[in-house]
Amino acid sequence: MNAPPLSLLTIILDTNPHAWALLTPTLPLSAAIANLLVFINAHLAFNNSNKVAIIASHTQRAEFLYPVPSQDDSLQANGSAHNGAQNDLDGDAKMVDSDEGSGTAAGDDANHYRPFRHIQTILLSAISKLYKTTSSESLTPTTSIAGALTLALTYINKQSIALSTTTSSKTNADTFVAPSDPNLIQPATLNPRILILSVSGDLAHQYIPIMNTIFACQRLTIPIDICKIAGDSVFLQQASDATHGTYIALTHPRGLLQYLMLGFLPDQSSRKYLVPPTAVGVDFRAACFCHRKVVDVGFVCSICLSSKSGLSTVLCWNYSVRRRKAPHV
Amino acid sequence: MAESDDEYVQDISDDEVEAHQVTRSAGTGSRATGQGSRGAGWEVTRTWENVVEGADGTISSTVEGLLEAGKRKRLLKDTTPLQRGIIRHLLLVLDLSTAMSEKDLRPSRYLLTLRYTTAFIAEFFEQNPISQLGIIGTRDGLALTISPLSGNPNDHISNMQKLFEQEPKGQPSLQNALDMARAALFHAPAHTTREVLVLFGSLLSSDPDDIHATISALVSSHITVTIIGLAAQVAICLTLATRTNPLLPPSQTYNVALNEAHYRDLLMRATTPPTTSHSTTEDSGVKSSLLMMGFPSRIVDPSPTLCACHSRPTRGGYLCSRCSSKVCSLPTQCPACGLTLILSTHLARSYHHLFPLRNWREVSWARASVSSQKVCFGCQAPFPERPASLRRQSISGGQNHDRMSLATSESQLHPPKAAHISNANKDGVSESGRYECENCRRFFCIDCDVFAHEVVHNCPGCQSREGVLSFQTRKGGE
Ligand SMILES: [Zn+2]
Ligand SMILES: [Zn+2]
Ligand SMILES: [Zn+2]
Ligand SMILES: [Zn+2]
Repeated sequence: MNAPPLSLLTIILDTNPHAWALLTPTLPLSAAIANLLVFINAHLAFNNSNKVAIIASHTQRAEFLYPVPSQDDSLQANGSAHNGAQNDLDGDAKMVDSDEGSGTAAGDDANHYRPFRHIQTILLSAISKLYKTTSSESLTPTTSIAGALTLALTYINKQSIALSTTTSSKTNADTFVAPSDPNLIQPATLNPRILILSVSGDLAHQYIPIMNTIFACQRLTIPIDICKIAGDSVFLQQASDATHGTYIALTHPRGLLQYLMLGFLPDQSSRKYLVPPTAVGVDFRAACFCHRKVVDVGFVCSICLSSKSGLSTVLCWNYSVRRRKAPHV
Repeated sequence: MAESDDEYVQDISDDEVEAHQVTRSAGTGSRATGQGSRGAGWEVTRTWENVVEGADGTISSTVEGLLEAGKRKRLLKDTTPLQRGIIRHLLLVLDLSTAMSEKDLRPSRYLLTLRYTTAFIAEFFEQNPISQLGIIGTRDGLALTISPLSGNPNDHISNMQKLFEQEPKGQPSLQNALDMARAALFHAPAHTTREVLVLFGSLLSSDPDDIHATISALVSSHITVTIIGLAAQVAICLTLATRTNPLLPPSQTYNVALNEAHYRDLLMRATTPPTTSHSTTEDSGVKSSLLMMGFPSRIVDPSPTLCACHSRPTRGGYLCSRCSSKVCSLPTQCPACGLTLILSTHLARSYHHLFPLRNWREVSWARASVSSQKVCFGCQAPFPERPASLRRQSISGGQNHDRMSLATSESQLHPPKAAHISNANKDGVSESGRYECENCRRFFCIDCDVFAHEVVHNCPGCQSREGVLSFQTRKGGE
C-alpha cells in the first residue's frame, strides 16, 4: 500500500430554501456554493488522490449532488479523475487516463483544471435540479440531516471497501467479527471525514436516527465537522464532540470561505499537529420521547431508555410498559 | 490427543468419569444415588458435526454466493422490537483450568480467551455504557475474583492483564464459580438484569456439593446463565443453561465454539442486551422502573476549579443538571446530590436494540427489471445488469441456484410482510444483487445492506423519503 493516504471529504449541504432565503442579505446560496467550490478545489489540490462527495440535506429528503449516477457511469469517472489508488487496486483494466473518464464534461474552458470543472458542472446542475423538483408542499423549515448522514456513511463504507486490499467480503466479515476495532473497518489508507454546512435548527424529531449515525461515526472514527452558518442545533454539537470533529458557529457568515479554509481544510492526520478551534461548551441534553422537547433532567425507563420530562407522561408511559409486550410497536 | 475425533472423545469421557468419581468421593454421600443416570448425563456429544452441516450448508455453492449468504445470514435476524434489559449486571466466569492449555484454538484456548475477553470488555461497555461487569475465574477447584463488579472498563482490562502472566492449572469448579457469581449479583437492583456468562473449556467440574442445588438457587434469584463451551457439549452445562433460561431455546444460551471466529461471534453476541419480561413472566427478575437521570452540559472554565469527584483542579468538566457540582467524566453519579449523570450519547448507543431496522428483502430479476433504479441508493454503486444467459443458468446451475430462485419467486407471491418472515430461514442471497427496504421501496447493494443493519441501524432511504418524518417511520414500522 504505497499510495499516499487519501482523504475522502463528504460534504453535507443543508439546502433548506427557507433558511437560505433568510440568509440572502448576508450570504446568498450562490455565494455559499461558490465559496464551497473553492474549498473543494483546495481539498482536491492538496493530494492527487483526494476524493469528495456532496450530499444535499433538503427539506424532506437527502440526495447525492456529487457524484451522481449518469449515462456515462460517473462513479467511475470520479474514481479515475481524482484518484490513482482505486485503479491500483482494481487492476489495470480501469487505468484510463483522466481525460477519458470525464470526457463528456471536457470542452469549453481550456484554462479550467478538468477535475475542478467536472465537479462544478455536476454540482451546479444537481443543485438546480434539486430546487426545480422541490414542490411547495414540501417546504418545511426542517432538514433531513439524518438521511444525509446515513447516505454519507454508506458511501464512505462502500469507498473504504473498494479501497481495501482485502476483498470486499473479507472486510465486511471483519466488520462484524470485530466491530470495536476501527482498524479492521477503516483501512488506514482512507481518511474519511464529514463536513456539515448547517443553516437550520430543529432536529428533535430525528433524534434517534441522528444518534445512530453519530454512534456509527464514533465507531468508525469518522469525525463530523460542523460549520454552523445559521440556526442552532444541540445534536450537531454533540455529533462533533462525540466524533472529535470541529464545531464552528460562524459569527460572520459572509466570511464563509475563510472559515472553511482555516477551520476545515486539514484532514484527520494533519489535525494532530494543529490547534483546532474548539467549542467552549457542549450542550449534552437529550430529547424527551413524549414531547420531543430537549431536556436536561429526565426520567429514563430502565427497560426502554426513553427519557421523559414530566410526571404525567411518566405515568402513562410506565403504564404502557407494564401492559404491553413491546411498548414501542 | 486430538489426532482422531473418535479417540479424542473416548479419552475425554474416560478422564471425565474418573474425575467425576474423585469429585463424588470428596463430596457428600447423597450423590451416589444418582450415579447411573448421572453417568449417562455427563456423556460427551459431538455437537460440531450437526452444526457444521446445518448452519453453513452452502459449501457446494460458488465462493461469492457463500460469502454473500454468510453476510446475509447474520443480518436475517428477528427485528421485532423487544424490551431489553439495557441496564445489565453481568458476571463473566472464566475457566482457568488445565483444559484451557489445549491448543485446538490458536494460540491456545487460554490465551485466546484472555484476548477475546479483553475485546469483549471494551465492546460490552460500548454497547452497555450504564451496566456493570465483573470477572470470576475458576481453577484448582476454587473460584477467585479476578475483577469485582464495576462500570469501568479500564479497571477490568488492567485486572485481566495479570492473567496473561499466569498459567492455567488444576480443575475448574463450576459450582464454586456460580455460587460466587450469585453472591456478587445478590445486591443488583431489581430493574437490572442479572446475568452470568461462562466460558468453559473443560469437560468436567470438580464440585464440593450438589450442583443442582446451586442451579435451583440461581433460578430462584432470577440469574440467567449462558455458556460458551470450547471443547464439546457437556450435559451439566446444558442443564444449567436451560434451567436458568426457561424461555429461550438452548441454541441461544449454550453453544460450543467451532473455531476462533465462531468463538468470537458467540462472545460478542453476549454484548447485545438480552430481551426481558415476556408477559408470562411477571416475576422474572427484571422490573421496569423509571430512573431519574441528568444530561449535563460540558463547560470549560477560564481558570481551574476543583471538581466534586476528586477535588482536583480542572478546567473542563460537566455541571450536574440538578445541583451544578462539577464532575470530571461521565457516566457517573453526582457526588453531591446522587443524580445519575450521563451523556445522551450513552443512552443513544442502545437505541438500535430498541428500534431495530427491519430486514431488507431480496429482489428478483423480474422485479429489478421493472424498476428504474440502476444504482444503489446508499452508495451510488451501479447494480449488475440482468445477464442474458440467466434462464439457461437457472436450469443447469445446480441445486443451490434453483433453491435460490425458488426462494425469491416464493417471496414474490407473498405479500411483503409474509415474505419478510418467510425469508428469515433461507440463505437470503438476492439473485439480482439488490436488496429492497419494504418501507421506502428503495434498492441497496449487499454492502449497504450489511452496513445499514450492522453499523448505522438507519435505512438511508427511509431517512430521506419525501414527506415522511423519520421517527414516525421507525416507530410505526410494525
Ligand atoms: Zn474529578
Ligand atoms: Zn448533583
Ligand atoms: Zn450500496
Ligand atoms: Zn427504507
